Amino acid sequence: MNWLHGTWAVLQKELRLEMRSRYAVNMLVMFVVSSLVLIAYAVGQTEIAPRLQVALLWIVILFAASIGLGRAFVAEDERGTVLLLRLNVRGSMVYTGKLVFNYLLLLGVDVIATLVVTVFLDMDIVYPGLLAAVLALGSLGLAGATTLLSAIIARTSNRGPLLPVLLFPILVPLLLSVVTGSEAALDVRDGWPAAMESLATLAGFAGVLITTAILLFDYVWED
Amino acid sequence: MKPTARAVDVRRYRIVRNVVLAWLTAMILAAFLLDIPKINILEHTARNLYFHVPMWFTMMAAVFVSAAHSIQVLRGGSLLSDIRALQAARVGTAFGLMGLVTGIWWSKFTWYVGTDVWWNFDPRQTMAALQLLIYGAYFVLRSAVDEPVRRARVAAVYNIFAAVTVPFLLYVLPRQLQSLHPGADGNPAFSEITAPVMRLVFYPAVIGFIGLFWVLYTQRVRLAAAKLRVTQDPEL
Repeated sequence: MNWLHGTWAVLQKELRLEMRSRYAVNMLVMFVVSSLVLIAYAVGQTEIAPRLQVALLWIVILFAASIGLGRAFVAEDERGTVLLLRLNVRGSMVYTGKLVFNYLLLLGVDVIATLVVTVFLDMDIVYPGLLAAVLALGSLGLAGATTLLSAIIARTSNRGPLLPVLLFPILVPLLLSVVTGSEAALDVRDGWPAAMESLATLAGFAGVLITTAILLFDYVWED
Repeated sequence: MKPTARAVDVRRYRIVRNVVLAWLTAMILAAFLLDIPKINILEHTARNLYFHVPMWFTMMAAVFVSAAHSIQVLRGGSLLSDIRALQAARVGTAFGLMGLVTGIWWSKFTWYVGTDVWWNFDPRQTMAALQLLIYGAYFVLRSAVDEPVRRARVAAVYNIFAAVTVPFLLYVLPRQLQSLHPGADGNPAFSEITAPVMRLVFYPAVIGFIGLFWVLYTQRVRLAAAKLRVTQDPEL
């Protein structure tokens, strides 16, 4: 089977399943909104610095990813569809299809989280394009790591809360770059030139993570 | 994957162990007894150079050994490769923790004297702490899989995946954080201002602690291989 064709088939299957139950979408939206509102109530009237605003934004996105995307492969196991997928498509197609689906979900999370932070925590976005670029590139790396690790989780016996433990140490370089990059989007004096280094790092990080993940995925996927 | 007959050459292990013990005894005596120049603030804490720095070199060596054996596991290696990757990670973690403690303590009484902080997000400190976090996650992941062959595979994938991300910190961190460590930001690493007597002890210390790593690692591999022979599971 053509590689693009297989990837598209996996993505289509994911989208169709999601349209039926809307579990992941609803869960992610509610998680992001309620946790950010909780933060806003806890912070109250206090002014918080831009660095802290983007830090909170990214922490919520990371937690949303580690909670909402962890079920990608566990669900296949529970529905008993793993063998069917293994028979019909190659491992790299499964990985890429799920990666694209997770990435779309994460982009939605980014939009909602940014809106909520802007409204409740009074975030002042000076360069919207830059913030969007940082969010998009950061989420790509995040989706790449989460997709491989959720396949690992599906191979363990107690699948529950393991994903954050595995995910967070890997994402430290990403977190450092996205926070600096997003911070530059909030400061009139910074803007694109100040964020170029972060963007380059994020692109490189996402590329390396996804390439390694595709190379390693078969070892987790096949028995 | 079946366990191979002999994991460790016991004769070689005994010889190296005895050499390392004698070597380290001499090195530690020299570290405490040889006279070193007194520098303000640094004073006798300079002797920590013989312990703190080799701990890091040893941990880095352990990380390489562990990652190399993880690759071996995926290339169709035996459970023995998995044992080696795990034990290298364990012993490396022990050295990393000691390096972190000696470093935090040392910096508290020298670099940060007067400011009274324990932790200042020095790039190397952050990177080392992160490597320890990764190994912590690696051990947790291992304990979550019951079946040895599957555990070997899954753990190897995580170990390699994590090892790929660490070099990024080398690029990211120095741009965001200042370092006081020698060898960074134009600080001289090991220069003519370092007393010759310190080199005399430092290099043997590096060799000695890496030798100690080899001894502990080989000892643990031997134990785990014995467990594997008896129970079919190296971690029971």
